Amino acid sequence: MKVVFLDSSKVEGLRNAINNDTEFKLAARFMSEDVLLEVDESRCIVKVQDGVVTEIKLNPPSDAYWSFSIKATAESWDKLLQSSPPPFYTGLNAGMMRGNLQIIGNMEVAFAYFWAMNRMLDMMRELQNK
Amino acid sequence: MFKIEAITGKYGYLTVHEVEYRVYFEENGEGIPLLCQHTAGGDGRQWRHLLNDEEVTSKYRVVAVDLPYHGKSLPPEAVGWWKEEYKLTKSFFVDFLVEFSHALGLDRPVFIGCSMGGHMALDLALERPDKFRAVIGLESAEFTPGLDLIWFDHPRISGEFKFANLFESTAPSSPENYRREVGWVYSQSAPPVFRGDLHYYSVEHNVTGQLQQIDTSRIAVYLLCGEYDFASTPEMCRQAASKIKGAKYKEMKGLGHFPIVENYKLCKKYLMPILEEITKIH
Repeated sequence: MKVVFLDSSKVEGLRNAINNDTEFKLAARFMSEDVLLEVDESRCIVKVQDGVVTEIKLNPPSDAYWSFSIKATAESWDKLLQSSPPPFYTGLNAGMMRGNLQIIGNMEVAFAYFWAMNRMLDMMRELQNK
Repeated sequence: MFKIEAITGKYGYLTVHEVEYRVYFEENGEGIPLLCQHTAGGDGRQWRHLLNDEEVTSKYRVVAVDLPYHGKSLPPEAVGWWKEEYKLTKSFFVDFLVEFSHALGLDRPVFIGCSMGGHMALDLALERPDKFRAVIGLESAEFTPGLDLIWFDHPRISGEFKFANLFESTAPSSPENYRREVGWVYSQSAPPVFRGDLHYYSVEHNVTGQLQQIDTSRIAVYLLCGEYDFASTPEMCRQAASKIKGAKYKEMKGLGHFPIVENYKLCKKYLMPILEEITKIH
């Protein structure tokens, strides 16, 4: 199954779902960062400005700016995005510790907005399993 | 109707390592003393379901204490604590629990602890088997290095990071409100406390190569670990149990790192047989 945030037919729906999530709005209200998501060799950038996802840009150029990256294999993303994820794939921290997920880049920013990122993951899960 | 729980809370003054602490504890029940230890960065609120469980409190005097700097146990008045980095040491942790038990007149209590409390179960079994009749370690392991992250006490990162971190330590099938409650308690702890406790959890607690010394004829050892625990995994807990002759271990399916909070009803299915066995044997 194609990961929802790499599916051009679904990214707009995902963007709207994230922006409509009350918890994301609260947690990301001071956030203006670009977040790179990587699935094996595929990539997209989630652009957040003042707490609003303005764009999910597929196949960004290699020199595109991003604050931090959330990177995992397709196999790991598949587990992370299950509606009831298995052990070690319940969220980003679990994935980092045991699920072969990496967060790379500005860790201070990544952890400052960690709840926002986990809510984004929750929205991805909902859409992935629709 | 205003329903009042049977739990009572009190303050007592305890001197440990020559410093007096005003210590808060809650209790309920009669019978074998059961001393409950909260998690790193947590407090005795985590034991509210156990404290309210009549099936347990009909046989056990359940006592949940807030370590100094946690919950309602404020930092000590006699020490300029704000000038020092807070770090929980094994020595203090062990001695506090022993002194507190003695002060309350608990006769060889059963000790139950989760996370850092689970680690302490092993340390007590090793170092003070004379003072406790049994230990129940939830999410115990021999050694869990590398978790005392600077990010847990960082001027640019709020308590929401702790909330997020610990929320996802729970099982996805646990009730949403109780999963949120886990994170809520963490988000309320004072900035340096969680990381300071992790000094014990991730640095000072290391019983690698020592567990074989535990004599379960002196102190019974029961270990339980949640299926979804990624900090101290079921395999790590099982390994610890396998090195203690006579210890009993079970993996708690459908539970995470905070079984007593996130889904007490399910946790009780694993815990009650242990508590019943203790009443018969110990």
